[in-house]
Amino acid sequence: MGNRQDLNRLLEVANLELAYETVQVVWGVNLKVSRGQVVSIIGPNGAGKTTTLKALAGLIPVRKGRIIFDGQDVTSEPAHLRVRHHLCLVPEGRQLWARMTVEENLLMGAFSPPLRAKAHQNLNRIYELFPQLKERSKQACGTLSGGEQQMCAIGRGFMAEPLLLILDEPSLGLAPILVEQVFQMISRIAAEGVTILLAAQNANQALQVAQYGYVMEAGRVALEGVSDELRASDHVRRAYLGVSN
Amino acid sequence: MSAVDLLNLVIAALLLAGVYAAMSVGMTIVYGVMKIVNLAHAGFLMLGAYFVYELYARFSIDPLVGVVLAFPVFFFIGLAVHWILIRRIPSSDQPTLTSLLLLFGLWLVLQNLGYLIWGNADRAILTPRTLYVLQIGPISFPAVRLIVFGAAVASIGGLELVLHKTWFGGAVRALMQNSDAGRIVGVNVEKTARIAFGVGIAFAGAAGGLLAMLYSFSPDFGGSFLLRAFVIIVLGGLESFAGVAIGALILALAETFSILVLPASYQPAIAFSLLVLALVVLPEGVAGLWNKRHRLA
Repeated sequence: MGNRQDLNRLLEVANLELAYETVQVVWGVNLKVSRGQVVSIIGPNGAGKTTTLKALAGLIPVRKGRIIFDGQDVTSEPAHLRVRHHLCLVPEGRQLWARMTVEENLLMGAFSPPLRAKAHQNLNRIYELFPQLKERSKQACGTLSGGEQQMCAIGRGFMAEPLLLILDEPSLGLAPILVEQVFQMISRIAAEGVTILLAAQNANQALQVAQYGYVMEAGRVALEGVSDELRASDHVRRAYLGVSN
Repeated sequence: MSAVDLLNLVIAALLLAGVYAAMSVGMTIVYGVMKIVNLAHAGFLMLGAYFVYELYARFSIDPLVGVVLAFPVFFFIGLAVHWILIRRIPSSDQPTLTSLLLLFGLWLVLQNLGYLIWGNADRAILTPRTLYVLQIGPISFPAVRLIVFGAAVASIGGLELVLHKTWFGGAVRALMQNSDAGRIVGVNVEKTARIAFGVGIAFAGAAGGLLAMLYSFSPDFGGSFLLRAFVIIVLGGLESFAGVAIGALILALAETFSILVLPASYQPAIAFSLLVLALVVLPEGVAGLWNKRHRLA
């Protein structure tokens, strides 16, 4: 039983502690993500969500704890090698290359040598999934609208054939109608069988799309559970869903 | 001034712009990828000049061939300098005092090495074609300038091709714009920076060789060109290769046409004035003009 669970587990984060210089911001966080799941991390600004996700991508060194991905310990692996495990971060603020075209941005998503042979095949798949990106393919990324940029950023992550796609605040700063669009896109990618770990301040939508959720507060996991249960819990309702009893 | 004179000046400026651009792209690529202002660039320009000179003087190797040979030789020198010195500089998104001091120190070392080896006498590369003048209708210009221009344009064209058609080029452009995003997609920042530094030094060496075909030089050769390269990359917006070409053209035009109103000895002042003007009026360079609409939300 335990063994089967292990095989099914894609990501396991144990006692993660992270710091910027001398300021510790994440204190002993545990996360588990099973294959095929959508898992959300919600919580206020400054709770350590982004820091945690950056550490998963290797952009921040781990002070303590372990990150096991797809059965391998990647805790101290440099960022540029993690994408080879098909662990992909779509960072907060999109972090696209503004002066490169949409197509160049997407193709760079397959930069890692093992991915290059299938780069154009995967590019076409993204164009099928998101035809809007194909229309804009020759345009400089900086000229896209916020929603299209988010689409491009997700597409870039998708180019690495992700086992786990980590999305950090995919809807931040977008108009409500675009937020809707982005979450539809996330559902579409999840339907393709990609496991998704999502951090968002927008708790309502993040929990709707997810099967399991974590609530992070002040650098710790304050609460976790099946997302329907989380949405029903008093604490989440009052603090994140704006429901007063 | 007659139309022919004007045309002659414009052509002279264009030909000058080519070599100016070639000597500046090396600094741009190093700054773009590593955010390091390579003050030692002038030292490598000087070494490139002597490299081509020595090949010609000792082995009668044509200076143009010397310039081509300078690319691989200085590329490996660049890799070595990166391995010995540059990689020890803490990485930063801003030019740091540490990097400025280190590279300034390196320049001084290279310069004095030059004095040690070659003394302080001026040298020049004189080939049979040095004084050959091409005459096309009413327009005349030294053939060597055209050759240097062609070589400069070809090398920049080659670089552009690499930057736009290869994975390495994609990595370089990605790191110039957003290095964290580069790491996420699998770019090895240190390795790319090392190669980019090598390419930057390769261009410095080759550009030094091209300059040596036009001007006489001594071990402090390079200083005035370093200033010009500064002006060009500031005008160009520091990280844009198209900007470098335009910056080079602006400086070359300004310098060339200044002879109509200023004594030639005032020419270095043109570069200084342009630098000040650029910093006040166009702090983001000419590239800033077209990047404004490319801002990310």
